[in-house]
Amino acid sequence: MSDLFAPTEASGALTVTEVNRLAKGAVEGALGPTWVHGEVSGLKAYASGHWYFGIKDAESQLRCVMWRTYSTRVGTPPAEGTQVYCLGTPTIWEERGEYRLNVTRMLLLDQLGRQALELERVRKKLAAEGLFDPARKRPLPAFARTIGVVTSLNGAALRDVITVARARWPSVRIVAFGAAVQGAAAEGEVVAALQRVGRLGGVDVLIVGRGGGSKEDLEVFNKESVCRALAAVPVPTISAVGHETDVALTDLVADARAATPSAAAELAVPDRRRWAARADDLGVRLARALERRGQVARERLFRAADRMQAALQEQLAGRRHALERCAVQLDALSPLKVLGRGYAVAQDPAGKVLKSVTQLTPGTAFTLRVADGGVGAKVV
Amino acid sequence: MSTQKPTLQDDLKRLEEIVRALEAEDLDLDKAITLFEEGVKRLRTAREQLGAVEQRVQKVLEQAGGELTLEDLDP
Repeated sequence: MSDLFAPTEASGALTVTEVNRLAKGAVEGALGPTWVHGEVSGLKAYASGHWYFGIKDAESQLRCVMWRTYSTRVGTPPAEGTQVYCLGTPTIWEERGEYRLNVTRMLLLDQLGRQALELERVRKKLAAEGLFDPARKRPLPAFARTIGVVTSLNGAALRDVITVARARWPSVRIVAFGAAVQGAAAEGEVVAALQRVGRLGGVDVLIVGRGGGSKEDLEVFNKESVCRALAAVPVPTISAVGHETDVALTDLVADARAATPSAAAELAVPDRRRWAARADDLGVRLARALERRGQVARERLFRAADRMQAALQEQLAGRRHALERCAVQLDALSPLKVLGRGYAVAQDPAGKVLKSVTQLTPGTAFTLRVADGGVGAKVV
Repeated sequence: MSTQKPTLQDDLKRLEEIVRALEAEDLDLDKAITLFEEGVKRLRTAREQLGAVEQRVQKVLEQAGGELTLEDLDP
């Protein structure tokens, strides 16, 4: 077994690639992404958009590369000697065996100072005018059917809003007012987009914002013109600049603030499940209430019918009783009964009872009625 | 608000009133049935709105003349 710490045989040699790969792993593993402070030296901006430069202090220099994706966020290349903070990962470029810093962010010190001053100026001015006044805040609609979104049409913010909004309420209408949210054109585009919200009409609540970004990416949301345009939007607004810790001025101007566009969509769009549950509950109560009303009415009806029937029977019984009494009386008074005792009654041919001698002059014909029939007779 | 007809919110609010009135029990049956029928209608429109289909996302475009138009956003 050979001693790893004392390689003496050429047959154990590593290839160049192997060494560089191992060194790269060691460097990246040892440091990771880190902020480096220094001044820019020998910057070359290629047509491809990539920047190659060094940053140095009094004693040493560090080679840096910044790919196009990241350098475009900085804008124009900083001049020689500019003080910068760079965020990057120290690494080794294997093909060349070069050690360098892969820079993803660059903050220009003097620019940072200017931005901070400008931010403070705008904040004071708008505060003095009452644009941040809590009394200005409008409540968000409980039931928004159309939500407007002022953001980049290609950004994550719009995608997040769409995803969350549809999960909460599939039929919610989403109108996107496209605007660049970073770069030189952003301010003008965001202001124009905000103005279109009122001109278009039909929007119930507006979300303005962007996905998570670095501090300088939020710049447009700190612009005075953007804040004023937001304050002038005629419907309730939510600012969602995708930043948990930093507050943009639009957060203070908007009627509500959300940490992310997804959170803004949750504020803006009602939850279908909650409303569906309420509708279901009301449906059940409606049916139950009518059923109970029906039951009460049915019971009342039955009770009334019972009472009516009882009253009717009582009345009938009374009548029957009276009828029977009448029948008895009638029977007692019946002339047939009197005749039965041996009496007779005289009637003229028309059946009229002859009660007086004056009616029975000699020769008058009459009928003599006895219990079992009548016989013809004549007065003599 | 911009839009058509009574909203779901209106429907459910009215439905809530109807249910309360029916639960209060001091109504004529006639009146109760009329209310119930209205309640059923409201419930149906509410359910329709709850079940409505997914809408397209639209983007706003400004024409040369300053006119605003809507166009479907590519998914």
